[in-house]
Amino acid sequence: MMANFEAEDGTTRDDLVQRVALMETMIAEGRRNTGRFGWIFILWGLVCLSGIGVSYLLPRSYWVWPILITSGFVIQFIGIAMRRRSGNWPSENLKSRSIAAVWRMMGIAIILYAAPAGVTNTVHQIAYIAAIFMFLGMAHAISAVILRWRAQGMVAGLWWAGGVATYFVPRDYVITIYVVEMVFCMVLFGVYAMWLERRRAASEEQTNA
Amino acid sequence: MPELPELDPVVHGKLRLAVLSLLVGVEQADFTWLRDKTGSTDGNLGAQMMKLEEAGYVAMQKRFAGRKPQTLYRMTPAGRKALTKYVAALKQLLGGAL
Repeated sequence: MMANFEAEDGTTRDDLVQRVALMETMIAEGRRNTGRFGWIFILWGLVCLSGIGVSYLLPRSYWVWPILITSGFVIQFIGIAMRRRSGNWPSENLKSRSIAAVWRMMGIAIILYAAPAGVTNTVHQIAYIAAIFMFLGMAHAISAVILRWRAQGMVAGLWWAGGVATYFVPRDYVITIYVVEMVFCMVLFGVYAMWLERRRAASEEQTNA
Repeated sequence: MPELPELDPVVHGKLRLAVLSLLVGVEQADFTWLRDKTGSTDGNLGAQMMKLEEAGYVAMQKRFAGRKPQTLYRMTPAGRKALTKYVAALKQLLGGAL
């Protein structure tokens, strides 16, 4: 219909088609979640594994968890501050804010749940550990649904399976489940997420070049 | 024959259109992020952002992230309206092929 369209300012149909393509690309870019958060999973996986290791070696050291958790928060805060300063921080959109909200609220819920358990020395109860697994599984599952990310959905399933399994395995194996979950669902999942983030960044650089 | 719609010259500029399209999907964006996404230079992007600001299509906010100054932009309701109008004009010009 407008094949021979040419405006007074010289704008042609091809120019308009190019504008449409440009808009589509940029809208998709703006909505893409460009955050780099894999390192946070690795950090907290290592914090929890260190906590278990030190608690095993020094069973009466009640200071271990508060110190490790505080250190984890300090390292995370410094890491995020450094990224913000370097300008390497994603712009906020509804998706990124939803995911950030899930993880922040999950963190607050776990602290409110774990702190009294630590004070009252009830952290060794099966239900306590199972609930932690369920919290983490739920956060992963919500994030997986928002991002439509199957791998994270599988991680959520592993957390929930671990939570259920703690009720059925002999008590001595609960710690093994905990360690396996931390290694696979936090540390290795974090490594996988970082690998994806690097690959995406490399592909973006190629596209911009 | 129906009259052809005019394209808003402020929105029509390639870099300005790219910026508005980016801003439509986010709540606010840092200057550096916009520069990286558009593959633009500091000078060119700064000049185009000023034009968008003068037209009232974007709003700027300066703040500090630690000790480093940060310039944030967000799309205003007028900017959103202008982009919507621009898309409608494009549709009409391209014969509803969109």
